[in-house]
Amino acid sequence: MRATEVRPSGIERTFGENELIVSKTDPRGVITYANDVFLRISALSEDQALGSPHNIIRHPDMPRAVFKLLWDTLEQRKEIFAYVLNLASDGAHYWVYAHVTPSFDRSGRLLGYHSNRRRPSQPAVAAIREVYARLLDEERRQSRTPDAVAAGMAALERMLAERGRTYDELVWDVTDGGAR
Amino acid sequence: MKARPETVDAAALDEAVRLVTEVCERACNGDLEARVPVISGSERAARIRIAINGLLDHVDAFVRESGAASAAAAEGRFHRRFLTQGLDGAYRAAAEQITHSNQVMSRTAAQFADAARARQALADELESAVLTVSEQVATAATEMGRSANGLADFARVAVADAERGLGTVSSLRTSSDEIRHAVDLINQVAAQTRLLALNATIEAARAGSAGRGFGVVANEVKNLANETSASSEEIMSQVNTVQQSAADAIGVLEAVTNRIREMSVLVEGIAQAVDGGHQIEDVGLSQLAEVLRAEVSRFVSTIRAS
Repeated sequence: MRATEVRPSGIERTFGENELIVSKTDPRGVITYANDVFLRISALSEDQALGSPHNIIRHPDMPRAVFKLLWDTLEQRKEIFAYVLNLASDGAHYWVYAHVTPSFDRSGRLLGYHSNRRRPSQPAVAAIREVYARLLDEERRQSRTPDAVAAGMAALERMLAERGRTYDELVWDVTDGGAR
Repeated sequence: MKARPETVDAAALDEAVRLVTEVCERACNGDLEARVPVISGSERAARIRIAINGLLDHVDAFVRESGAASAAAAEGRFHRRFLTQGLDGAYRAAAEQITHSNQVMSRTAAQFADAARARQALADELESAVLTVSEQVATAATEMGRSANGLADFARVAVADAERGLGTVSSLRTSSDEIRHAVDLINQVAAQTRLLALNATIEAARAGSAGRGFGVVANEVKNLANETSASSEEIMSQVNTVQQSAADAIGVLEAVTNRIREMSVLVEGIAQAVDGGHQIEDVGLSQLAEVLRAEVSRFVSTIRAS
C-alpha cells in the first residue's frame, strides 16, 4: 500500500477553520468520495484516493486502539468522534477532529461510512497527544499486532476508569477544552 | 492549464449538466449519498462539480449533526452538542438554535433531577419522623394503658375496702342499739329496786328500833339503785356519741366510695381511648399510630415511585 511507503517529514499542515474535510467509504472502508479539501490536504489526486482503503492516510503515530474503537462503534451503527493524526502522501501530517457516521438507505441497509473532519484547536491536540502517547507506549511493547491492539484498548479503558469518563465524554472534554 | 471558454468541450458540459441534474434530483429526494462523479475535459464542469458536491457536503453535515445532536439530547447525553464548526450562515444559525434548545432541555432535565432528589430526601425525612413519633406514641400508649389498668384495679380494691369499712361501722351501730336496749333494762331494774328500797325503808321505820338495821340496808340498796341509774345515763350518753360518730363515718365512707366509682369511670375512659373499645371502629391510640405510620409509608412509596 502506498501509505506505508510514505515517510513522515515532520512538517505539519493545517486547513481552514471553516473548512470540512469530507470523505465517504463503502462498508469495507474503501474510499468512494473525497472532497476537494481532502485531496488538497492529503496531497492525493482524486485517482489516487478513490478506490483506495481509507488507511492510505494512516500515520504510524496513531494508536491502533483508537481505530479498533472507531470500527467497533460504527459496527454498532453509532456515530463516533475521534481526534486523528493523518499522513499526507508528501509526508506532511495533519490533525483532524473526525466525526464518523454510518450511512443507511431507506430500508436501513448499511451503505457505507461518512466522515466529516474539522480543524481541531491547539489545546485539544496537545491534550489528545498526551493520551495517545500513553496508548502508543503500551502498544509498542507488543510485537504482534493483535496484542498491540489489546494492550492499547486496556490502557485506554484504564485511563477512562481513572478519570471516571466514557470515551465519548473524554473526547468532548478535550473538544470543550475541559480535559483533565 | 486554464481552459479558455471557447475551447470547452461542449460534450463534456452536456455530460456535466446531465450528471448534476441526476445528483440534484437524488439529493432532492433525500439521498445525500449522491455526489457528482469526476467529469474530465472541462474546467467549468469541474468547478460546477466541486460547487454542487460542496453544497451537498454541507447539507449532509448539517443533517447528520442535527439528527445526532437531537438524538443525544433525547438520551440525556448533553455533552454531545451540535458542532457548528465548518457550517456558516443559515446552517450555523439553525445549528445554534438547536444547541440552545438542547441547553434548555439540559437545564430542565437537571432541575427535574434536583426536584426529584429533594422530594426523595423529604420523603425519607417524613418517613423517619413519622416512624419515630408513631413508635413513641405506641410506647406511651402501652405505658398509659398499663397505668390506667393499674388505677382501675386500685379503685376496685379501694371501693371494696370502703364497703368493708361501711359494714364494720354499720355493725357498730347495731351493737350500740343492743347496748342501749340492755341499759334501758338495767334502768328499769334500778327504778324497781329504788321503789322496793323505799318500801323497805318505810317498813323498817314502822318496825321501830328492831327494823333500824334493815332500814340501813334498804338505804344502801336505794343508793346502789341511784348509782346504777347514773351509770346508765353515762353509758347512754357514750352510746349516743358512738352512734353519731358511726353515722358520720358512714357518710364519709359513702362519699369516698362514690368518688372512687366516678374515678373508675374516668380511668375506664382512658383505658378505652388507649387500648380501643369493644367496637371494631373503636380503635385505640397504638392502633391509630400504626394506621398513621402505614398511611405515611404508602404516601412516601407513591412519592418515591413518581
